[in-house]
Amino acid sequence: MFAQAPDITRTPTVPVVSGGIAFVPVLQGGQTTLVSIISPVVLVPLGDNWLIESRGAFEGDFTRSNGTGPFGGKIHKELEYLQLDYIVNPHLTVTVGRFLTPFGIYNERLYPVWIRDLQADPLILPLEQSSSNGVMLRGGFSAAHNLNLNYAAYFSTLSTNETLASDRQIGGRLGAFLPNQRLEIGFSFQHLLQENHPNRFGAHFEWQPRALSLDIRSEYADTESGRGYWIESALRLNAISHATVFKHTQVVVRLQQFFTKPGAPNGNAPGANTKEPEIGLNYYFFDGLRATGSYGRQLSSAGNANVWTAGMTYRFAFPLGRGGY
Amino acid sequence: MRILAALVILVALAAAQSGNKSSESNTAASPSPAQNSAQAADIRVEGEKRFRTNCGRCHMPPHKFPPRMMATMVRHMRVRALITDEDMRYILAYLTQ
Repeated sequence: MFAQAPDITRTPTVPVVSGGIAFVPVLQGGQTTLVSIISPVVLVPLGDNWLIESRGAFEGDFTRSNGTGPFGGKIHKELEYLQLDYIVNPHLTVTVGRFLTPFGIYNERLYPVWIRDLQADPLILPLEQSSSNGVMLRGGFSAAHNLNLNYAAYFSTLSTNETLASDRQIGGRLGAFLPNQRLEIGFSFQHLLQENHPNRFGAHFEWQPRALSLDIRSEYADTESGRGYWIESALRLNAISHATVFKHTQVVVRLQQFFTKPGAPNGNAPGANTKEPEIGLNYYFFDGLRATGSYGRQLSSAGNANVWTAGMTYRFAFPLGRGGY
Repeated sequence: MRILAALVILVALAAAQSGNKSSESNTAASPSPAQNSAQAADIRVEGEKRFRTNCGRCHMPPHKFPPRMMATMVRHMRVRALITDEDMRYILAYLTQ
């Protein structure tokens, strides 16, 4: 172990445009939806301690009119975050603006199409309020040998603007990460300061065993609109063989359940109790380009359905200026 | 006059002694190329380990981007993924070597 970490205080930076493009047709219950997404990310560093970061999403969900007609539909636009970060010290960053709500892990860490292992959203994703407008304190630090803690606490104000929608709420998330075991567990809490002032709870778990290229993740959420969980396991097949085709292939399995609450507003969440096992396959041509496919069987008291996805995702990044030293 | 001469000699001796110390400490503070190379290798190994532990939870092993880009992206991930300051230093050093 080293006495002191490398000094990077004078490392030059440059504004960066990054993001992802995805084309993933979804066939659910006999209906095809052509899902096309462009999601640009803009990063503008200022000095040594400031960062402006933003991500937008343009999503077109095109379906056949009358079942057999031409594909058509609207393009949804959303500003997912536009925030100013100030790194106050190694333990604290202050964020103001519009930011991804730190409730659970999917919304904040796994949502981008170029990161998620299965392209279909988890059933409980609508329970995680996607974005908030306000102020947030967050940070990560080493609390002891082999124990890192991370936290986020925020206040959000109400916005009814369609592109900048957010609720008036307070909340936070606390996570404990064991680097040697590559294991994280965490808890989230949210208190809505409007309507019936409900409380929302979440828990998450992530584990990457060192011996295998395996990711195991899980998340649980309990809100006034329902409760549910998902657990996902993704295995890179390089453990089976070092042949190129195996090194680039990943198999994903996910099981999820959603439980409604009687008389509760469900928004975009399922309207009936639902269970869904899924299996998927990803093939990485190179770091940013991936072919993806999955099959799931939705078992619901409102009717069962098969869910197929197949498509491509691509992640891009380029500097707005000179990239080298 | 003698006192002044003695003072000048004392100051000159002190300055010479200080210069020797400074040159010794400079010699001690300047590692040889071999030491530099060994230290860089250690940082790379530790940085890769920390990259796999932190970033590898969501990202593939890194595509090499130019150093200024990497510095911006690592700052972004420091805020987003809540990685510690020390981890960030090693990861950036690893990604920009």
